[in-house]
Order: sequence, then structure tokens, then C-alpha cells
Amino acid sequence: MKGNPPIVKPDLFPEVTVVQTRRAGMNGIVPYLYVIPCILLLGIFVYIPLVVNFYYSTLNFSAFSPAKTFVGLQNYRELIADPVIRTALINNVWYCVISVIFQVGLSLCIAAVLEDKLFRRVSTVLRTMYFLPVLISMTVVALLFSFVYHPKIGLINAGLKLIGLGHLAHAWTGATDTAIFSAIAMSQWHSMGYTMMLFIVAIQGISEDLYEAAEIDGAGRLRRFIHVTLPQVREMAFVTMVTTVTGAFLVFNDVYILTGGGPGNASTTLAVYMYKNGFALDKMGYASTIAVLMLIICMILALIQNNAFRSGKGD
Amino acid sequence: MKRRIALALALAICLTLVCSVALADKVTVNFFHRWPNEPKNSYINGLIEEFEAANPDIDIVSDCVLNDSYKEKIRVLVSTDDLPDVFFSWSGAFGENLTKSGRVLPLDDVLAADPEWASQIVESQWAPFNYSGKQYGTPWSMDGKAFFYNVDVFNELGLTVPTTLSELYAVCETLKENGYDEPISAGFSAQWAVSHYLGTICQRVVDPEVLANDYMNGGDFSDPAYITALNIFKDLGQYMTADPCSVDHEFARNAFIMEVSPICYMQLAEIKYLRDDAEFEYSFFNFPAVEDGKGDPGQLTGAPEGMMISATAEPAVQEAAIKFMKFVISKEGGYNLIAKTGEISCVKGAWDETNCDAKQLEAIDLILASTQPAVWQDCATDATIANAFMAGGQLLLTGDMTAEDVMASVQTAAAALK
Repeated sequence: MKGNPPIVKPDLFPEVTVVQTRRAGMNGIVPYLYVIPCILLLGIFVYIPLVVNFYYSTLNFSAFSPAKTFVGLQNYRELIADPVIRTALINNVWYCVISVIFQVGLSLCIAAVLEDKLFRRVSTVLRTMYFLPVLISMTVVALLFSFVYHPKIGLINAGLKLIGLGHLAHAWTGATDTAIFSAIAMSQWHSMGYTMMLFIVAIQGISEDLYEAAEIDGAGRLRRFIHVTLPQVREMAFVTMVTTVTGAFLVFNDVYILTGGGPGNASTTLAVYMYKNGFALDKMGYASTIAVLMLIICMILALIQNNAFRSGKGD
Repeated sequence: MKRRIALALALAICLTLVCSVALADKVTVNFFHRWPNEPKNSYINGLIEEFEAANPDIDIVSDCVLNDSYKEKIRVLVSTDDLPDVFFSWSGAFGENLTKSGRVLPLDDVLAADPEWASQIVESQWAPFNYSGKQYGTPWSMDGKAFFYNVDVFNELGLTVPTTLSELYAVCETLKENGYDEPISAGFSAQWAVSHYLGTICQRVVDPEVLANDYMNGGDFSDPAYITALNIFKDLGQYMTADPCSVDHEFARNAFIMEVSPICYMQLAEIKYLRDDAEFEYSFFNFPAVEDGKGDPGQLTGAPEGMMISATAEPAVQEAAIKFMKFVISKEGGYNLIAKTGEISCVKGAWDETNCDAKQLEAIDLILASTQPAVWQDCATDATIANAFMAGGQLLLTGDMTAEDVMASVQTAAAALK
């Protein structure tokens, strides 16, 4: 007697299961495959150089010679004792404070004014006028301003003399008390148009309903600006704040071309001083140490701002 | 069809082989220089073409970048095995730093083997390329720094060329009394211009042995004569362009050309700028002697630029590179250098009335009359020390530092190098 054959549960979709398993496996890998190029590029061009720079900051070496001497924290001790670093830091802080006032505060105000109904007719012309300097290379701007600030043939001194304020004429880039402020002022003229445009884009994205509601509630222009515009452009303010502050601590072109960091080291910034140490004084290890200092400052400031603005989170 | 293709392929292979053999026989020399700008670039390319035509077995492959980029690139190249076979260098500390890599060929044997060629070069120009008793570079062009003056104004006011610092002050006072508020045109927004003044004054004032020891042998810059030198610079400042640290040298030169100031401290190579634009008679004199100064007043600040050979090149390439260097630094090459670029060649007899104007000949006489070239201060010593002098010199003129403060910063820079 034949026994009943064992019941075999038919595998109706054997291939499908295998494919599904494979797909599941692949699905786990695919996201990583997508990010590998990015990680590789970032690793090669950002993170590995950062680590290598830390290592270089513990060495003393010259570009003339392949020999490198390990000096431990000697460069960091020199950094702390270096009076020029203090001057450069103060200059960077001035750059930062003034840039935030102008490129975040004033730019936002100008953007709000240009987006007001009152200025709609002329706003395109004004927007273009304010934005034009952004299109000019900083090298050209610095050369242009070297003529504006020139003590003999400069526009500023000539203008002051013209209106009877000749006694205020000054060697703007050649005096220790005004050299850095001359560079900062030039930078504001150059960069305000860019942040203003960013704020205009942000303001244009604000729903008209909010303004209408505020108007119905009896809010005037100032109140609408404070209670509607400001909260709505918070994310953009965060972006401009981060780029302005980090830019202020990395500033190089403006100062290097206009004053070369002089007279003496009066208008030097961290980036200019780093370049000078690396490529003029041939102190590559010390230049790397300054680069580490700049990185730490920028990271701390970015973290502070990130927390202060609670970026990406709702109210 | 197949036969044609086979024939074409065979022909191509043969041609490739022939070309390879021909190229293999050619020696390729890499030449690196700093003149992508005109007229020097055309002059150099012309030289290369001439040399290759005369030496069909040598192929010169040239590369060039402008000054600051050149400084950076050659510094990096000299620390690698990619050093060009023949390359340009400044003299003084810059050249010496290159030689410290051990990759630059000492030329003593080359000079000993060809004394006739070596004897063509102005003797005084060799020293700035001589390091630790070995000759590493061959001088190619020479220059000097002198006070250019407006002869018409001097004649009108009955002034004579000052031979001492006191006389220079007296000349400046007279010029001031006669309406020239800024007798000496000067622009120090670029720090190198400060080093030209300070280098000369230190050379005139400080004991030569002390100066040599401090500049090159790790001295401590404690000699009080440096303070004297810095104070002389500050005193001269009262006769210079107002706020000189906000004015560049080009503006200062133009102020001299425009007859705003009748004196300007300039390089002899700048004669070319005056040739067409100066509508007055001008001449020049060496920086006057400083009373009680311990330095040789016969020296002229300025140093030659020259060529170096790689020590790591293959012998055949090295030989070809030396041949090319000798071709460039020759009487004919020097003649064309002056005629086409206005630069003064270091080769004796490369100049005459046919390729130089009267002012250039006068400038050559001034260089030849000097006892020795005094290397530019920013090339004569370590960059950190030179930087302390230059930055301090600017602040001395703005009144933010005293001579003592400047020397303290120089001494700190010197101590940090030990």
C-alpha cells in the first residue's frame, strides 16, 4: 500500500523570492553606492587635507626642502605669543561685526524697502544698481578703491576738500588706524548687493495673506516688517549670517590687494597672515597652524549660529 | 583594399620608428624662466629658436610664470625630482635657499673648464651667486638703485650732486625752500620699496662684518648702528612724499616724471619708463656716504639675476643645459638683451652706442664704478628678518614705531630662527 505522498508545499514563486532577497540586499547597498562618489570627493579634497593640515601644523618645514622637522606644539605656542595674530584676530572681528551689520542687517532693510509697494516702480532699477558691484571681480574692485582712497588723487579726499572738509582728508590705506576699515568699507560696497538679493528672494516667497492679515489687524509698515518679514526670512538670515561671518574670518583678497596687510601688519587678517607665512616667509608649518586656528574659529561660529537660529526647525 | 591598408600601416609604423629614433637622438632640456610678459618672452623665445637651429640635437622645452608665481613654483620644484634642467634665479638669499636643497649644480668646474667664457662676465657680479665658497649661479643681468634727479631743477637752483648724507639733507632743504614740498618722491605701500632704502642705509652705516654675520650667519642684530640707520630713514622721510605708505612706487616714479618731486630713488632698469615720458634732463647718483658710517660708500645696492643648472639632470642633459646657458649669457645674447628688453647684461662689451642710449651707458658706468653690488635687503637675509625690517620701516614712517621698536622686532625674528 502506498502511503500518502508527503504534502509538499508548492513553491509557486521561487524566482521571485530570490530576486526579492537580492533586491532587498541591493536596496541596502544602493544608497551607499549613491553617496560613495560624494564621500570620495569630500574625503580627497576636504577631509584628508584637513587631517594632513593638522599634522603639518606640528612640523617645521620649508617649501625649498623636502626635510620636515617634528616640533610638536611649538607652532601653537608661537601662535599664542604672536602679537600679529592678535592684530589679525581683532581685524577679523571688526570685519565680522561690520559685515553682519551691513550685509545682514542693512541688506535686509534695503530688501524690505525695495519690496514695499511704494517702491515697486523703481525697485528693478535700484535692485540692479545695488547688485552691479557683485558682478565685478574683487581684484578689480580693490584696484578701483586704491584710487578712491589715494591720498593725492583719490576721490574721497578730493570730495572732502570740495565741500570744505579738507581737514578730514586722510591717508586712508596708509595709516594704521584706518587701513583695515578702508578694506572693510570696500567689502561692504561690493557684497551688500548679493545678500540684498537673497533677502529679496526670501521676501518674495512670503505669502501676501500674512501681510494682509497684519494690515487688517492694524499693523503699520514697521510692525509688518518686525512681525511678518523678520520671522519669515529667518532661514535666509541664517544662511547669510553663516556665509558673512565665516567669510569675514576667511577674508583674503580684499585686504591683500588693497593694503597687503600694511602698513606694517596693521590691516592684516588671519588669511593674509597665513599666506604671508606660507609663501613669503616660507614657514609652512606655522601657516598650517594658522589654518587650524581659522578652521576652529569658523566651526565654533557655525555651531553657535546653528543653535541660535534653530535652523531647519519649526517655531 | 586590404593591401592598401597593410601598406599604410607599414608606412605608419616605419615613420613612428624613424621619428622615435630621431627623437631618441635629441637631448631634451627643460628650461624654466619668469618672463611670460613682453618684450622678454619674445627675446627668450628668439634665443631658444636660434640655439635649436645651431644645435639640432638639442630640444629646449621652456616653461614660464610671472615673478611671485615663479618664486612659489621653483621653491616647490627644487624640493622634488622635477627640477628643470636650467632655470632662472635671483641672487642672494633666494638663490642660496635653492642651493640648500642639494639639487643645484656648483659651477666651479664648468667655469674652470671654460675660463674664456667665464672671464666675459663683469667680475663684481659673481659674488652674489657664491655660497659657501662655491659658485652656483651665473649672473645674466645686472641692476642698481640710485637717486634719479631732475638736472634742470638742480641747475636752476644751483644745486650740486650730494656726496654725503648731510649734503643730501641740505639739497632737500633748498628744494623745500623753493616750493618743492616733497623733494624726494617715494611710495612704500609695497614693502619691498622700504627694503631698498633700509638695505642701502644699513650697508652704509653698519660695520660690514657685523652686517654679514647678522644677515647670513645667525647674528643677533644688536649693533646700535642699526638704530642709527633706521633713524636716518625716518629723517629722510620728512623730505619724502607725504603719507608714503599709502602710495605705491609706480605713483612715486610718475610724480618724478611729472616734475612734482625732483628726486626719486629708483632702479636703473626703470630708465625705460623715463625715456619716453620725462620731458626734462635727468641723471642719477649713488646713495651718498653717511658720515661716521662704517660701510663702504662705493657699493651700489642692486644684485644680478642669473641662471642655475640642475644637479640631478642626466649628464648628457646637463651638458646641453650648460651649453644653452653659455649661449644665453654670451656677448651676442647680452647685446640683444639690452637692445630688445632694456635690461643691462652682465657680459662685458655687450653694450655700446648701437644698442644703448646715453642714459643706459651712464647707468652701466655707475654699476661698473661701484666697488661691489650690495644685494637687495629682502634677498640678502632670511625672509623673516627682512619682513621685520620692512614692516617696521613702514610703521617707523607712520609714527607707530620707534627705531628701537623696529630693531626689537628684528631681533625677535632673528632669535626665532636659531
